[in-house]
Amino acid sequence: MREQETWKAALLISAYKIPTDISAMPCYNDTRGENRGDASAMSIGSESAETILIVDDEEPVRRTFHEWLEGANLDCKILTAADAESALMQANQHAIDLAILDWNLGAGNDGLRLLEDLTLFHPDVTAIMVTGFAHQATPLQAMRMGVRDYLDKNQDLDRTTFLKAVRRQLDRIRPARRARQLHQQLIAFRSAVEKVLPLVQAASALHDPVPLPAAVNNLFRFLQRTTDASDGVLLVRSYDADRQPAEIYRAYDMDGQRLDVPLVPFALSLAGSVVSMQQPSLMDRLDQAASSGNLELQPFERGRRSLLAAPLSVAHGLQAVLELFDKQEASGAASAPRGSGRESSFTESDRQLVAAAADFGTEMLRQALAERQMHRVLFDAIEAALGASDSMAQSLDVAATRPEAPPPAAVLKRLREGLASGGSHALGDSADAVDADATLRLAESIRVLAVRHGPSAVQHCIRLVESLRQLLDEMTGEIRS
Amino acid sequence: MSEPSDDAFAEVFALLTPQRLLHHPRATGEGVSVCILDSGVERALLEEKFRRLGHELHPIQGGIFTASQLEPLPYDGHQSTPHGTTVADILLTLAPRIRLYSADVFGPQGTCEVEVVIRALRWAMDVWHCKVINLSLGVPEQRLQQVQRRQQLLRVIEEAYYKDVLVVAAAHNEHPLMRSYPAVFAPPLLSVDKAAFADPLDFAYHLSEPIEFQANGRGYLGPFAAEPATSWAAPHLAGIAARILSLRPCLKPFEMKTILYWMFQGRCKV
Repeated sequence: MREQETWKAALLISAYKIPTDISAMPCYNDTRGENRGDASAMSIGSESAETILIVDDEEPVRRTFHEWLEGANLDCKILTAADAESALMQANQHAIDLAILDWNLGAGNDGLRLLEDLTLFHPDVTAIMVTGFAHQATPLQAMRMGVRDYLDKNQDLDRTTFLKAVRRQLDRIRPARRARQLHQQLIAFRSAVEKVLPLVQAASALHDPVPLPAAVNNLFRFLQRTTDASDGVLLVRSYDADRQPAEIYRAYDMDGQRLDVPLVPFALSLAGSVVSMQQPSLMDRLDQAASSGNLELQPFERGRRSLLAAPLSVAHGLQAVLELFDKQEASGAASAPRGSGRESSFTESDRQLVAAAADFGTEMLRQALAERQMHRVLFDAIEAALGASDSMAQSLDVAATRPEAPPPAAVLKRLREGLASGGSHALGDSADAVDADATLRLAESIRVLAVRHGPSAVQHCIRLVESLRQLLDEMTGEIRS
Repeated sequence: MSEPSDDAFAEVFALLTPQRLLHHPRATGEGVSVCILDSGVERALLEEKFRRLGHELHPIQGGIFTASQLEPLPYDGHQSTPHGTTVADILLTLAPRIRLYSADVFGPQGTCEVEVVIRALRWAMDVWHCKVINLSLGVPEQRLQQVQRRQQLLRVIEEAYYKDVLVVAAAHNEHPLMRSYPAVFAPPLLSVDKAAFADPLDFAYHLSEPIEFQANGRGYLGPFAAEPATSWAAPHLAGIAARILSLRPCLKPFEMKTILYWMFQGRCKV
């Protein structure tokens, strides 16, 4: 056992050190100049074609299999190897999709052990085992390692059965291979999209050098100085029937800070009236206006004497209203504190000034909105792209579970027959306790485990089972070697 | 040659006096259906106000027009903003017996597209069979640059003219500095600017291309009713027209314009 481990380790180490030129490797194809490390020279099909590796120590067998495959126009790359060592070197150079392995490779090597090593290079490799002793096959290990079919040299192996078996496996391999490639492309795509995201965020910050609240504050300060208003509010209302809530209605003070007060409905508000007037409007005696019945004053409008309000028609379904309150009569002294003047009424020139400021404010809000929408569109696009890649990956994961489907019925039948005819040595001599069907179910469970979680998970389970056996043995007092 | 005919017309037009037409006992708006394309009407508020004044209104009907639906949504008796109620109040003050239809073209969104106005105009003509349509709204010229949309609006105004429907449209408040649609389509409609009149039934024919009429620019109900606006002037002239139509409902728009013109000329001579 230790010797075997050493052999395997040495072989793998040497395989990893193999140079790219493998022309010196003993291989049937060498004589035909097909195995010179030049993949294109060996490729029957396209670059993305599946690769089939034939491993058999008998040269006539290798040649025959190669001719059958070559003549079948399978659009595959075909490699050949005479022994385990050269097979692993091929595996180090090429992605092997399907291995056609001789069960008995001679020199103490068997195809199953080679397959186990091949899976270290290519975990998804599928194998067809060629043997003259199909009934001696070890179903449990073979299925776990990826053997999907057996061809019996002594019975029904001819060109037809051989190609039928190969085609059947290629039909299984190709969708899974495409899914894997797509998966890799998705990972690359996702990586690219994730790199774009910070760029978009940076661009967003770059295009918004003056935050909107600061811009609103500047506008209010300008209006306050020019109209002598004592205070002001910006009301912003958006309505979208397809959104919940349909109406978003907010008020902001002159510093651009949101006012946390309950607002009366837009339909009954001064702002609503100003919007429908479509022009800056003046009003004295606000409390009297509220008594008309079809209007309610906002909390910050109550107690005010005069109003100068202007609509900002930003976009369809989005209105803003500038409200300035209580004009102060200028005190005359430049150094006089603000608000020290007497109350006055807004004038026609104030209205015209606010009209111009409203136009400016409208453009400012439109631009801010447009930029935010542009960035939103970009963010949404990125989000959609990431979402699409996620859902695609999930669907691929579902597709990837298809290999869990059991091997063909004929294979299972043959395995069942082999087990029933006394091949139970694979699980010890407990044929009385475990029948063929139970053995196959166990084998199938292990195979699914291997497909889903890889060889390491299977090794872990084997250790657990061995520990359990040891425990049971100790409990029952039964000691087995 | 011209003197005898002038005398003949003078005799005819001298009969067109406010006393005979506007203050006639039947000049109440009865039998006249009027639509206001605006921001909805607060029905209960108006019914209560006019009940206190001793007028029983015909039930106010209407619909809410949106860009997304061909047919209007049901009118729930409420305004989208106070503007429409102020307009309706002016109309009912002048002609309390009109049958009023509220076409709320602003709706909860608070903004209005030209296509919605066109749809509401057709609905008022073809479904509600209104004789008068008041438009205290308009689109400034710079915001309606697309010739095709202007033509669509003009086409529906002309449709109204050919169906004997009188459209009264408010000029822009900054007229003549600012042109506004559909008021600038003056020939097939009554375009109205604001002016100060002591008598709400008073008006003027003052051709200031393309606006032809002036009417009282102050309203009676609502937050900005006291502020002079063409929005309030248009329903004053529509109310005057409704009074005249209640005396002869089949008058055509050009007849109405002629009557109003000669009524104003006669008043000027007095």
